[in-house]
Amino acid sequence: MRPLVLFAQAGFVFAVIGAWQYGSTAGIFDPTILPSPSQVVLALGKLIQSRAFLADAFDTVTRVTAAFVIGAPIALATGFVMGENLGVGRSLAPLFNLVLAVPQSIFLPIFVLLFGLGFTEKLIFGITHVFFVVAVNAMAAVREVPHGQVVLARSFGAGKLRIYRSIYLPAMAPQIVTGLRLGIIFDIIGILLAEMYASRSGLGVLLLRWGESYAVDKLMAATVLISVVTILINELMRVFEHRVGRWRQAVEFQ
Amino acid sequence: MTPARPIVIETRRLGKVFSVDRAPIVALEDISFSVPEGSFVSLVGPSGCGKSTLLQILAGLVSSSSGEVLVDGVAVRHPVPDKISVMFQDATLLPWKRITENIEFPLEIAGMTAAERHKRAAEMLALVALAEFGERYPHELSGGMRQRIAIARALAPNPRILLMDEPFGALDEQTRIKMGHELLRIWAKTKKTIFFITHSLTEALFLSDTVLVMSHRPGRIVGVIEDTLPRPRTYDIIGSAEFGAARNRIWKLISQDDDEAAEGGMASL
Amino acid sequence: MRRLLVIVVFLGAWEATRRFDLVGPLLVASPGEIVGALVKSWPDYLGALRFTVTEIAIALAAAWTVGIATGAIAGTIPFLGATSGPLLSSLFAVPLITWYPLFMVWFGIGMTSKIIYAAVSGFFPIAINTMNGIRGTDPRYVTFGRAIGCSHRQVVFRILLPMAMPSIMSGLRIGTALIVIGVIVAEMLASLGGIGYLISYYRSIYATGHVYLGILFALACALAANWGLTLLERRYTRWRELQIAER
Repeated sequence: MRPLVLFAQAGFVFAVIGAWQYGSTAGIFDPTILPSPSQVVLALGKLIQSRAFLADAFDTVTRVTAAFVIGAPIALATGFVMGENLGVGRSLAPLFNLVLAVPQSIFLPIFVLLFGLGFTEKLIFGITHVFFVVAVNAMAAVREVPHGQVVLARSFGAGKLRIYRSIYLPAMAPQIVTGLRLGIIFDIIGILLAEMYASRSGLGVLLLRWGESYAVDKLMAATVLISVVTILINELMRVFEHRVGRWRQAVEFQ
Repeated sequence: MTPARPIVIETRRLGKVFSVDRAPIVALEDISFSVPEGSFVSLVGPSGCGKSTLLQILAGLVSSSSGEVLVDGVAVRHPVPDKISVMFQDATLLPWKRITENIEFPLEIAGMTAAERHKRAAEMLALVALAEFGERYPHELSGGMRQRIAIARALAPNPRILLMDEPFGALDEQTRIKMGHELLRIWAKTKKTIFFITHSLTEALFLSDTVLVMSHRPGRIVGVIEDTLPRPRTYDIIGSAEFGAARNRIWKLISQDDDEAAEGGMASL
Repeated sequence: MRRLLVIVVFLGAWEATRRFDLVGPLLVASPGEIVGALVKSWPDYLGALRFTVTEIAIALAAAWTVGIATGAIAGTIPFLGATSGPLLSSLFAVPLITWYPLFMVWFGIGMTSKIIYAAVSGFFPIAINTMNGIRGTDPRYVTFGRAIGCSHRQVVFRILLPMAMPSIMSGLRIGTALIVIGVIVAEMLASLGGIGYLISYYRSIYATGHVYLGILFALACALAANWGLTLLERRYTRWRELQIAER
């Protein structure tokens, strides 16, 4: 069934693009509202060569990366502490889960009020997006460690480093990677939102500006580009997730 | 010998072939037996020999590849819930429904009115001696109790035939023995025809009138043992010489089959 | 009683930090300022609330129905599930907010664009969770259903959907949160009205008290939706809570 499924998925995507192109050529769609796929591809080509666009894209990527590179390690460390130390875990976990329950985007205005929205502030906004989800998953990862095995290994005289490498790491890896994957997705959402809301540079600003000026072909090109890149990042992380979790009994859900 | 009773279940040269990844697997081969009304027939055999497949065919859940299955002389092609009830190792009680609602569920599907359903459910609960638990949820009951409710649910539509696929397999030994007694008591009272699948030779001989012995895959009937031990039976009967002899006969049939399998190479496992 | 005292002390300290200028007026609003904003502008807030709640309600109705239906269909037909499952999860990763400018072009800056944006946001987790809930059901329950003579429809509605309820509920929770916040965030970016619109407006004129009041209204919406869901959960998945409690 596998090849048939892939075929159907590819077929679906092509059908959508095909219908879209058909609609545009047949004049069903107003080109000032919905440009044709070919127009979008053309606009995309121009954007990629435009220095201004690349500069904004670079800004966005920098913010996203910086937020992740700073936020993830702190979050992992926090999550491990929460997982190992039951007291800390029990007091902090409810708070973290509460934060995760409400999408953090809502606090953007307060953020802007409190801190303004310079580079640092946007960075912090992104970091908060990364922090909570990675920490909660790191905490859950600690719970995945089979303590029976650890005790057994110690009784054989295995050193701490050895135990960390061969028991802790493989057991925790899948959950940690899941957290990192979600972290980067939330990070991207947070940074782009911050840029759309109050910024002078970055992809978010471009999108909003193009929207307001009805530059639909550029808007669509950039939007689709961002979507595709995000999907690719997600899928890559998923593959990674799968590979570190290969030793586990795969529960076939997705 | 008891006078001849009408045959309710009959299989004639039943066969089932699965094709997995384009390689055919013969699950059942040339299965022929008949079950008289009101009798208790067991099927024993090694793991993977196709016992469950056979039961699913009898229940109308799976179609056969060759041969026939007749219930009351009519071929079985789909489930016939008013005549045949099925029980599995897992009670599969619906967790969001109370016990009474669970027992009533098949009756609801069959279109019985609410008043009739309530009455019938109460009767069944009394039959399995769990009347006080009607308002509880399945997770509040022990494994043995859940299986008793499953029996109550299976008997609620008043079927003629009860098919049971290792219903006590997940229970500990003591509960198993008690459930065996329970089942015999209920059977004596309701006089249903029971087709019972089990791993355990002891359980099969303890419960049944007839024991069908099945080979490893491809499953064939390699022997039929008539169990003439007197009824009503209690568990201490398994100490008797007659019991031991019958069990040895079954064991011989199975080991013979095992040796043939070994000779034929591991590929046939 | 003690809790009430803690809250009163907290509010008092909060008010004090502003009164004594411990923190600047642009950063934090004191409870007094927030109440003042409410007293001054409550008609605006009420109108905005009506606007926002309407959008949320329509988006919820759309996302819940289409989401559960899609998830149910994908969950019960194996081929559809195998095909759409990965597609849905992949699309879920897309930062939907980046599509809002396009929605603005296509649907204007009135209610429609926000409703569609929020509904699409909520659709994905609902559909995915419903599908997984159904696919994750122990197949023995389906066998049981068939053995007692259930039709295909009965198996889906009487066995699979109730069995998948906890999963569906979890999806509804995530989806509803995304919808409520989605509507408000979209209003903050570009809108004709609504709580988010007010928040943005007041922020631009540095009316801190008003901004915090707006955020409180937004949180109230989120909490109300959450509370509604908890009631629903209690009605339909009590058995699950009891089951977990028993362990």
